[in-house]
Parts: sequence; C-alpha cells; structure tokens
Amino acid sequence: MTAPSPILVRRAILVGLIALWEILPRLQVVPELFLPALSKVLVVLASDWQVFGGALLVTLYEVGLAIVIACGLGITVGALVGGVASLRSLLLPVFSSLYAIPIVILYPLFTAWLGIGPQSKIVFAGLYGFFPVMLSTAAGVRVIDPQFLLAARSMGATLTQQVTRVIIPASLPTVFAGLRLGGALAIIGVVVAEMLTASAGIGYLVTLNRTILDSPRVYAAILAILLLSILYDVASRALERRVVVWQSTGRQSAPAARPVSTATPQATAA
Amino acid sequence: MAAVSMNGSARAPASDIALEVRGLSHVYEAGDRAVPALQDIDMSVRAGRFIVIVGPSGCGKTSLLMMMAGLRAHSAGTLLCQGRPIPTPDPTRVGVVFQEASLFPWLTTLDNIEFPLSLRGVPAEERRRRAEAMLSLVGLKGFGARYPHELSGGMKQRVSIARGLVQDPPVLLMDEPFAALDEQTRMTMGHELLRIWSTTSKTVVFITHSLTEAVYLADEVYVMSPRPGRIIDHIEITLPRPRTYEMMATDVFGRLRERIWQQIRHAQ
Amino acid sequence: MQRGLQTLIRLALLALVLGLWEVLPRIGAVNPMLLPPLSDVATTLWGLLGRANVREAIAVTTLEVITAFAIAVPLGAAAGILLAENEYLGAIFKPMLFYVFSIPKSIFLPLFILAFGIGFGQKVGYAAFTTTFVVMMSATAAVESVRGDYILVARSFGATPAQIIWRIYVPCMMPVLLETLRISMIFNFTGVMIAEMYASRTGIGHLISNWGENFQLPQLFAGIIILSAVAIAFNETVRRLEARVGAWRQ
Repeated sequence: MTAPSPILVRRAILVGLIALWEILPRLQVVPELFLPALSKVLVVLASDWQVFGGALLVTLYEVGLAIVIACGLGITVGALVGGVASLRSLLLPVFSSLYAIPIVILYPLFTAWLGIGPQSKIVFAGLYGFFPVMLSTAAGVRVIDPQFLLAARSMGATLTQQVTRVIIPASLPTVFAGLRLGGALAIIGVVVAEMLTASAGIGYLVTLNRTILDSPRVYAAILAILLLSILYDVASRALERRVVVWQSTGRQSAPAARPVSTATPQATAA
Repeated sequence: MAAVSMNGSARAPASDIALEVRGLSHVYEAGDRAVPALQDIDMSVRAGRFIVIVGPSGCGKTSLLMMMAGLRAHSAGTLLCQGRPIPTPDPTRVGVVFQEASLFPWLTTLDNIEFPLSLRGVPAEERRRRAEAMLSLVGLKGFGARYPHELSGGMKQRVSIARGLVQDPPVLLMDEPFAALDEQTRMTMGHELLRIWSTTSKTVVFITHSLTEAVYLADEVYVMSPRPGRIIDHIEITLPRPRTYEMMATDVFGRLRERIWQQIRHAQ
Repeated sequence: MQRGLQTLIRLALLALVLGLWEVLPRIGAVNPMLLPPLSDVATTLWGLLGRANVREAIAVTTLEVITAFAIAVPLGAAAGILLAENEYLGAIFKPMLFYVFSIPKSIFLPLFILAFGIGFGQKVGYAAFTTTFVVMMSATAAVESVRGDYILVARSFGATPAQIIWRIYVPCMMPVLLETLRISMIFNFTGVMIAEMYASRTGIGHLISNWGENFQLPQLFAGIIILSAVAIAFNETVRRLEARVGAWRQ
C-alpha cells in the first residue's frame, strides 16, 4: 500500500483544522471565549461586513503605500549596493548589522512623531520591509552572470542596450522575489502597528475586540487578516510565474527552489 | 622553438587575408606589477580557413580571441580584420561563440538568435526569417519556441553558433565552445561544426585544449606557450576533407597529435 | 589600506549622523521635543541604567528572551531536521511552512493572552512560537547544505554513523547552524518586544511603549539605543564566529 500523496494529506489537514474549529467549541471541549465556533465567526463577519470591510480598506491603503516604500526603496538601494562593488563593500556590512535591530522598537517613535494615524503605520511597515528586500535584491543582483554582458558586448550592444536588454531582464526574478517578500512584510508590519497603537484598521479591530472580550469579532478580524496575507502570497506568486516563465529550476514548490538565502529569510517574528 | 614557416600562407594576397596579427603583445597591470600576458604574436589567417589555437590553461589564448573580437584592448602591435583594426565589437565582421553558451535564459531560442539583429533595429519580419534560416542550418528546426533551460548542452551550443552567424560575419571566433560537453556530444558537435563551416565558407578561429579536437577540426594549428603566451609552433593539418571519425585512428593523425603534445610539454 | 579606508569612511558616516543628531536640535533646525540632542539622550541613558525599575525591566526581558530561545531552538531544530531528512513529511509540510511565513503572527497574540494571562508565560510563549518557525526553516536549510556525496565518500571509507555525524554533518553544518542561531535570535528578540509592547506590566518593551505614549522622547531614544546596541553586539559576535568556523566556505 502506498502512502497518500502529500497534496492529499495537506488538504486533509486543512479540512481537519476547519472541522475542529467548528466541532471543538460546539462540544465545549474548548471554552467559547478562547475559540468560538467557525460558524459563529462567519456569521459575525457577514453581519458586520461594513465594519470589517471598512477596516480592511484602511489597512489596504496603508499596506499599499508601505509596499511602495519597502519595495521601491529596497529594490533601488539593493540594486545599487549589490551592483556597485565599492558601495557593496562599504555599506553591505553596515546594513547587515542594522538588520539585527528589532525594528518594532522604533514604532513608538513613529507614533510620537507622526501621530497614531496611517502615516506612522506606513513609515513603520515600509521600514520593516525595506531591509530584507534590500538585502535580498543586493544578493540577487550579484548573481547576474558576467558572461551575459560579455556576450551582449560581442554582439555590439551599447551601454543603454546592455542595461535594458540584459541587466533588467536578468534582474526580474530578483525584483519579483523582492516584491513578494516586501508585500508580505508590509502586511505584517501594518497589522502589528495597528494592533499596538491605532484608531482604525483591521489590526485595530483585533485589539479593540480583545479588550472587550468579544471573541467572535477577534476571530473575524484574524480570519480577514489570514485571508489577506494568503491572497497576497498566491497572487504575487501567480504574477511571478507569468512574468518569469523562463526560470528553469523546479517551480512546483517555488520558494523551496529559490530561498532568498538563509541570510535574509522571509521570516517574520511578528 | 621558432615558428615553423608554412608554404603558401605567408605570400597570400592581402585581400585574401581575413585576420592579420603582427607583433601583438599585451601587458596587464596587477597592482603595481606589470605582467606580460602575450608576446610577439604573429598570425596570418587566410579567408575560409579553419584555424585552431591550442595551449595550456592561462596561456592567454582566450585573451587573444577577445582582442580579435574587439572586446579587449592590446598593448602593442597590430590586429587587422579584413585589413581594418577592430577597436570595438562589430558583429557584422566577427561573430563570437563562448564556452558557456551564454544564451539569455529569458529569451526563447529564436529570440536569442535574433538578439544581435534586434540591437540594430532590423525589422521583425526579416529578423525572424534570418533566425529561422540559421536555426535550420544548425539542425534545430522546430525548437525555436523553447527556452534555453529546455535544451541540452549540445543544443545550446548549436543555438549559440546560430547566434554568432546570424549577421553573416566573414569571421567566427569560438572560445572552447565544446569544453563543457561530454565526449560523445563533443565529437558530434565537432562534426556538425565542420558541416556548417563547409556550407558557409567562414573563417573560423577556434580555441581548445583538446589535441584530438584540434587535429580533427583544423586546417592549421597554432600552438601557444604558457604565460607569457607566444606562438611556438604552427602546423598545417594535411588530412583530407571531409574529415571522418576513422581518420583519428590513422598514423598521420597520431603523429600530428604527438607533435603538438611534444611542443606543449617542452614549453612548460 | 583599502579596508582601513572603508572603516574610516564608515566611522565618518557614524560621526556625521551623531553630529547632526547633536547639532540640529541645538540650533533649532529640528524641534528638540521630537529629536532631543544626543547629549541629553546620553545623560538620560546613564540615569535610566541607575533606576531600579529599569534594571528590573532589563532583567525580566533578558530572562524572557533566554527562556523563549531555549524552548524554540531545540523544538524548531528537531522539527526542521525531521522535515529535511524525511522526504514524505517534508513534501507535506514544507509548502505549508512557506505560507505560515507570510502570515502576520502577531494576530495570535490575543490567544496567548487568553491562555497565559498577561505575564511571563504569554511573552515567552509568543516569542517561542514565532521563533520556532524561523529555526525550523533554517534547520532544514542547514541539513540540506550537507551534500550527499560527502556522506557517500565517508561511507566508502568505512565511517560509522557516529563518525558521519561528527566528521561530516557537524563541520558542514557549523557555519549554517551559527547563522541559524543568529537569525533566530533576531526574531526571538523581536517576538519578545512585540509581546511586551502589546500587553505587559514590565519589561523594556513595555517601558519604551509607555515612553512613546507619554512623549518622553529622551527616555524613548535611550531605550532604543540600549536595545539596538545589545542586538548588534550579539549579532556581530556570532557573525565573527561564523566567519571563523566557515572559513572553508568559498
């Protein structure tokens, strides 16, 4: 007898978890306060959809701008630091050192400077995503094969053509990996910030409902955040596959094939 | 060891000379030291000939090829391609095939072959027509839509040759193009290359460190010494064409191969 | 020479930043309420280190960080090695792990508060929870960094399983293991900070959160400097070690 396929097992686990979420509270194995049944959470989510939808819009706005900062700045600085040898040896060790700082300790500073509105979240989440995106871009740019440039030159490519026809397409996988990483981190950063100090947003709803012990609404907000981050991951991967069709190495489990180097895991303690 | 002079080639009319190298030397700076890399290279390559340069690793043969391609400058001497210097790469005069096929992984096979044409703004239709023609010349008809990672090592080098030839340059430079291939593929590719060469009448300068490959492919073999690279022998390969695999077992083949080996061995 | 010059430029950059931090608020170019001059921050920092409640907070945070780390590392390493060594389990769980990584784990903070109340257990639990995933991920990478042919060579020379572990796995994995510890510590530290800032009665995270809310910026900056210095010092120490045991890698 052969073992069931991994995909099947994975789906079974997912279905099992969803079923347990419904059954355990109903059987009173787990107290309602700790884990309300999934159906109750969904009912709340549906009845309060305007509240959750509005909060999600605030969060999306903050996430969008944070992605612009994290990826725009991260990819640009990363390409410079990775591509220019003198900048690399001068600055890369400095950035790697700064990477050790738990950025979340700067958030109280941002709220003091910018208030508890969207600005402090955008700046914090942007900075939160900046370092990993920058470091992974710098690492990615360095692996562009110099043979490509030599070949292009032998065919008479001008400097501009070398940039537009070789360097940019060769960097696309790195840029997309950066976008995926930066987006995931921007979401995480915004949610953390909203949970800590805020007056709006989906993370704020988690905290607000926690303090008044309204568990179904806490879980409704958690569910919304889960869906948001998984949707982003799926969407960015699909986009990446469409644009970077020429990647060779096995794409079935995309991140396993191209880890962003262990030095900058897309890990997030938040 | 002085260069062995060869009957005929030295007296050929200038218009018949595809590549002319006279007293070429190169010294590069390593920190505050000057390292001589190439010394007094003289070569005169007649149009349509198949030239092979052999030499040990680090003898500067790749540097010499890069200079012929206009990819690298030299310190002294002259280097003429069809009687004119080649200060920058000019793919209409010289095509280059590299050791790593260095195809762009983000382009399909056809797009890779069209790449040098598109740099020059050749209209799409003409590009496609010429690329298709090259593709069937190298025996890869029907593989145009594949990406490089979907091709075998030998197929990649065929595409690379097609790319080098697409602008119809009279000279094709090849830097150990088959070095990364397994022995059988390498033999097949050598044979294929001779077929392509005989139908296109190009001048080929081919670098290798395989002695068998050198004798099998060449009209003339130049042997280079270790650094600083000098020409220490120049051998006419008198084997008839078309070459066949059976020739490798002949005495003539063995003697030619042995002669090159002795030159390289004693130059160490 | 070249390296000396680089160090010089880096020091000059640092001096420039610190100099601006001192001068700009002093001459009123920026509001000293928002950016107190460096010297004021330094004085505050010195005063804070002498205060009992700050010392207690540092002690609590240190204990939380160490405890969470001591839980997460063995747990994550065991799970990670299991996933790397067992192909079937790896095929099932590795893709799930990657999804878990893109999820904001802070959303589970309320659960830890419900389970442990506000206190030591909640912080340690949350930090260990987040760190375990990081350790798992890097442990998997560490095991996979040992190339199969090394083991084959060792076995062909008659190495015993114990010898394979000590003579192949350990030296191969050492640099990666240290890197794992270093990265895990970064995330462990962050986890404790978030938990303390979210809901707490003590700890450095709680203090800086309060200082921020009360606009006590000299104290806030002092806290940030202390935490950053500790984090960077730990990181650099392990990186030195990594470089030493990993000298054979490229």
